[in-house]
Amino acid sequence: MKRRNFVRSLLVAPAGSAALVAAEDSQHPNTQAHDTGKPSPKPNLPTRERAFRAENVPKLQTVQSDLTSNGYQHFFTITQFATLSKLGAVLMPPMKDKPGALDAKAPEFLDFLISVSPLDRQEVYGVGLDKLNAQATDRFHKPFAELNATQVDAILRPLLVARPWSEDFPDDPLKNFVARVHEDLRKATVNSREWADSSKGHPFARGFGRASGFYWRPIDPVTES
Amino acid sequence: MAVKQYDVLIVGSGHSGGMAAKILTAKGISCLMLNAGPQADYERDRTFKSAYELPYRGFNEPGRLPHVFQANEFNANQWVDEKEIPYTYPPDAPYNWVRVRLLGGRSLFWARQSFRLSDYEFKPREIDGSGDDWPISLSDMAPYYSRVEEIFRVVGRKEGWPQFPDGNFVEMNFPPDTETIKRFTELANKQGIQVSKWRYSMGRNGLASSINLLLPDALATGKLDIVENAIVRQVTVDKNTGLANGAHFIDRHSRREMHVKTRAVVLAAGTLESTRLLLNSNIGNSSGVMGHYLIDQMYGVSVVAAVPEACGGKAKPGLMGGSSFIPRFRNLKKSDKRNFIKGYCVGIRSGAGASPNFFPLYGEELQKKLDSYQGACVEGSIFGERVPRYENHVRIDKNVTDKWGIPVLHIEARDGENERNLCKDAADTLDELFHEAGWERICKTDRVNPPGYSIHEVGTCRMGNDPKTSVLNKWCQSHDVKNLFVVDGASFVTCGWQNPTMTILSLSMRASEYMADQMKQRNI
Repeated sequence: MKRRNFVRSLLVAPAGSAALVAAEDSQHPNTQAHDTGKPSPKPNLPTRERAFRAENVPKLQTVQSDLTSNGYQHFFTITQFATLSKLGAVLMPPMKDKPGALDAKAPEFLDFLISVSPLDRQEVYGVGLDKLNAQATDRFHKPFAELNATQVDAILRPLLVARPWSEDFPDDPLKNFVARVHEDLRKATVNSREWADSSKGHPFARGFGRASGFYWRPIDPVTES
Repeated sequence: MAVKQYDVLIVGSGHSGGMAAKILTAKGISCLMLNAGPQADYERDRTFKSAYELPYRGFNEPGRLPHVFQANEFNANQWVDEKEIPYTYPPDAPYNWVRVRLLGGRSLFWARQSFRLSDYEFKPREIDGSGDDWPISLSDMAPYYSRVEEIFRVVGRKEGWPQFPDGNFVEMNFPPDTETIKRFTELANKQGIQVSKWRYSMGRNGLASSINLLLPDALATGKLDIVENAIVRQVTVDKNTGLANGAHFIDRHSRREMHVKTRAVVLAAGTLESTRLLLNSNIGNSSGVMGHYLIDQMYGVSVVAAVPEACGGKAKPGLMGGSSFIPRFRNLKKSDKRNFIKGYCVGIRSGAGASPNFFPLYGEELQKKLDSYQGACVEGSIFGERVPRYENHVRIDKNVTDKWGIPVLHIEARDGENERNLCKDAADTLDELFHEAGWERICKTDRVNPPGYSIHEVGTCRMGNDPKTSVLNKWCQSHDVKNLFVVDGASFVTCGWQNPTMTILSLSMRASEYMADQMKQRNI
């Protein structure tokens, strides 16, 4: 019964609380003896359990879900995702010892990222992927995902725009999409674990934002009411 | 137990609030500081991570902080969340209001560029006949600048140029210029453009914040108490005297309403938060000017050029690297007639690379381009001065409240022809200099970021001698409410091209000493 009470108190008590210390004390043989008024010392047993200390709580090793599982691709249609994957393969291929967008599972990551993005960003992607596929079908009678390099280039190159400032996206919807997806695929690749593993000793990848750095956790956040 | 009594309430804990606390407590005046946010614990709240370890792989969390272009997933939690404390703006004129509510405010994260304003900014009417002069000049401010520069340990090279006043600098040997910096300086000088070095605050232990340079001294006097998570919603006024007598505030977590009573009030919440508080309190605005003349600096104009002899990794030692700084050089003389007034400074950096977005390329072709330009570029970017305009203003939007039920600001700020012409001149001038140097232009833009982006918003409670056209007098003291002072950037009359921090600190020091003196004389 006492054992059950102790387990229950562990479940409800915050770490380091008085309740937990009291529960530990209740397991103390000397305390029990004192309660009954009949001390029965056993010289080979410790006289008192160690008090709770936060630093003694084991810190167990965990792994990120990316290492154990694949993202569940659910936002884009099959055709859209195939187009996005083709863009990943073309815009950010593997180079030298660096992984490409497909190695870094950048399309799968963008499927997640866009699915939780505001509606306007979702529309840019949805419309852009559909238009690219429509152009491929019109001009080459096959889906964008099945085009060869020359055919892809014929569609993509006129849509590429030099942008002096990274936040400056073209007004034309398709050019706008191509600029965004290009930037997103590059970033998702360079910020991936696969890229980091290939860059051991070079944690900062220039030109792509921060691949590592000091992360600020939420600081004393306000709980929702 | 009776609550403690304080002489002065200080709202805000950044550079201006920290300086007010340091000065006032040193003179034996007891202060209570209320800060809207919590204190960050650099050990507990920060950890080194790779982008792939973050929930969004280093992308900004979608939909969060849409107006903080400086935000990324690493630093997102340091900025004020627009969903918690929104603001409104016209659909055609977005404003980037970048805020920090942690103890120490934006002083925790500033870029530390440290300049004095000159009389070109304090007295612009004498130069270009535009706008209004400040009621003070550089000579009034110089002693305070010197003391601030000593505290912040400002590094700079003395030049003796009136548009770039020298300061009380830490002595330092600057490394010799690289060949690219020398070449650029030579060409600029031929055009009468003077080239100097950046000036910046070293601070102490890598930090130049109120939390390490100002507030510890104030706390050591035993005359300062700081309350975290205290959101001031109204400055209260004694109905009989018309004087400020404290403030209502709300506990950020519990939302408990509190009131503190003091002899005087100092607002140092950051330009627009101080003005918002005054507008919500409905005090100090007999002039009708409060909220108007919102200004900040223009960022975004830049030119990037590649140095041919450095491309493809061929740079010899001593060719690339280093930096230089050009203080304002336009419109320094009345005879300098251009299609814009005021001016801009330029930062030059050698040894940069190119960004992928500069090129309409992809795949291996793009990567080859980036590789060839790696470390081979020189970049020039400007900080331009905006013209103060009455119509650029903030007001209370009564239809929207923040998470604590406090009405928010509506912000309207637009650029005009002067800003566009100034930016075009800057981009063309840099482009021409780089071309003369024999460098290959790879990017040029005269596009400017939205107002507010510089995080240097000032004005909206401008100072002046005439209570009919200004909110504060030359001591940052309210014309209407004599025991109310606004010591952050709200008092600015012009913004200049300079980072405003040294001026804000000096104004706060000056105002606080005046205030202490007035309190001693029982005038407050």
